[in-house]
Amino acid sequence: MKRITCAVVLATVAVLVWVATPAVSQPKVVRIGDLGSKVGVFEGYGKYQTMGIQMAVEELNAKGGVLGHRIEVISEDDETKPAPAVRKAEKLILQDDVKLLVGVVSSGATMAVMDVTKKHKTIHWNSVSCAEFMRTTKFHKYYFSNQPDSRMQANGLAKYIIDRMGKRVYIFYTDYAMGQSDGRQFKTALERLGGEVVGVAGAPLDTKDFSPWFGAINTANPEVLFLAFAGTDSLRLMTQLHSFGMTRKYRLAGIDCFLLQQDLASIAEPMEGFVQLNHFSAYNPDKNMQAFNARFKKRFGVDANIAAGAYDAVHFWAAAVEKAQSFDPDRVAEAHEGMCRDDTHIGRQCIRKEDHQVVMDMHLYQVKGGKNLPIARIAGTDSIGEPMVGRDPVEGFTWEIKKKN
Amino acid sequence: MAWRALAAFAALATLPALPGLPTYYLLLAFDALLFGAIAMSLDLLMGYTGLVSFGHAAFYGLGAYATAILLERGVLSVWACLGAALVVVGLYAAIVSYFATARRGIYFALLTLIFAEVVYTFFRYTQTFGGSDGIQGLPDALLWRGVAIDTPRRKYYLVLVYLAAAYAICRVVVTSHFGRVLVAIRENEDRARFLGYNVQRYKMAACMISALLTGTAGAIYPIRSAFATPDLMLWTESGEFIISVMIGGLGTLVGPILGGAFFTILRDKASSFVDWYFIVIGGVLVLIVLFMPAGLLGVRRLVGFRQWRHGA
Repeated sequence: MKRITCAVVLATVAVLVWVATPAVSQPKVVRIGDLGSKVGVFEGYGKYQTMGIQMAVEELNAKGGVLGHRIEVISEDDETKPAPAVRKAEKLILQDDVKLLVGVVSSGATMAVMDVTKKHKTIHWNSVSCAEFMRTTKFHKYYFSNQPDSRMQANGLAKYIIDRMGKRVYIFYTDYAMGQSDGRQFKTALERLGGEVVGVAGAPLDTKDFSPWFGAINTANPEVLFLAFAGTDSLRLMTQLHSFGMTRKYRLAGIDCFLLQQDLASIAEPMEGFVQLNHFSAYNPDKNMQAFNARFKKRFGVDANIAAGAYDAVHFWAAAVEKAQSFDPDRVAEAHEGMCRDDTHIGRQCIRKEDHQVVMDMHLYQVKGGKNLPIARIAGTDSIGEPMVGRDPVEGFTWEIKKKN
Repeated sequence: MAWRALAAFAALATLPALPGLPTYYLLLAFDALLFGAIAMSLDLLMGYTGLVSFGHAAFYGLGAYATAILLERGVLSVWACLGAALVVVGLYAAIVSYFATARRGIYFALLTLIFAEVVYTFFRYTQTFGGSDGIQGLPDALLWRGVAIDTPRRKYYLVLVYLAAAYAICRVVVTSHFGRVLVAIRENEDRARFLGYNVQRYKMAACMISALLTGTAGAIYPIRSAFATPDLMLWTESGEFIISVMIGGLGTLVGPILGGAFFTILRDKASSFVDWYFIVIGGVLVLIVLFMPAGLLGVRRLVGFRQWRHGA
């Protein structure tokens, strides 16, 4: 009997030691979620978002992680649709217990995910979506963005279009949250500055054939064709515009995420002369961008692009956690507010307290020989506009074309 | 049969009580059961009546929009949402089934697809209903005054009750005289007609029941997800419903529930591990079709369950 008791005690002790040992020797882990498009029209943005996050996490882990915790990334695919995006956001938050969620790419899906991060009080950074609702009606205290939204882009680019490219503008946009938002803001900004919007049209996301809209564009006879598309939509659109001779007929301008640098080379000719406002280019001689791009290229073998904003998102979050000395979402959210960092991929960036939008300097770029080359610098304070939290950005807006005599 | 169904639902009812079960799994279970319920509703049409519908996503989406529109406008009663969904889906289903059941085979499938695409396009382009972004940020629905369906556990029980009710309705339908006529139509439509049955009316009725059950499932979806988007009505969604029926086993009711749940969980898990999860899902489906033509429920035969039961 004694032998049995002894064996049971020894076995129990052995099991307890075995169970306890890993807990003592393994470092503590904090998880963060990477939610983006891995397939579909915005696949490129999602993949570069993942790279940016990965690079930031490697840098942070090399320095001991955050609050003594090693950071672990869990990546999920949002399929560029709200339903899978919400499902995956819930999985990341409720099952994986992520303390930070970065994503998603499509503005429509981002808005749906914002409801999830608000409900479950999770710090949510976005580095790609640009619809203005995220800073206005959908805004919540756990949401942060370092992607210039539609209003910032319109404020920065509209004046250049009017002054240098032409006053008669046709706005062609992808018909969902992002494109509608860009179309709205650019129309408002162009008309405010004395320009004339001679026509507007929206094509559904993932349209394969854009030619049915070309007749209306040609009839309106604009000087400038402003394009609010992204991803593979942009690739198809530019190829088709070029084959119809419209890239030579009109001056072209577009939103910042129109095409990733990596895709430019394949359609260099149609894109020649295209103007856009952007916060990053691998061909910008800015020393911060060059330093970041060199590190990115060394790590992944390719140039970085605008989706690398996810890199800064992780660093901002880590700094906020260290400042708050806690992973508590309320304290971390407060620690973010007003925070500035000089070591981001484009230099200094500050988080505005009121709407959690990062204030950043941007550049106007023009495509030459398949490269996005800077032609002017726009101060962040000039483009960001006043905070509009809770105010409906659509209120009072109309798509109606105001004819000028 | 009844006691086994009761035992299965009782077992499902204990799921939230499992110690250590992450909340996410309750939501995943919600999705799995809802998808299973829709597949079962479709089975009534595909498995028992021999009609393949490529437009069930429209019933589902219309139900979802009915709820979303009411919740967005502050009508929070789940009963009002379900009632509105039944009316809207019922009206639409009456039109679709009237025209579609006048044709057979591929023409029926095409007509259901075309009607669904029209509905999808309407919602995608209508800004009153949020256009392609749909209606988002919906408040929690109320079961009755002061009792909100606001936790994963309550949402899970809502879908479980719905599944139980839908299963009971389907079981009553297929075991009734009406159900046997549907099977007769599936086996030989002309002979059923010669026997004096008004075939189109029977097919219309089956279509309506299937559509209303699917629409009710759609009405429940925004209560869990807080949004309704046109993607819910896309033909790919209808395709996934059909695949779920095939995975589970045609003409079995229980099989499609398993098929829908299996498909939902497989998609969720595979997509967490690999980017090319569609290939994984496709591979699994090919294997099921090749080696289990009777669907997941056919596994019973493989393991000799049926023989054992008959022998006993």
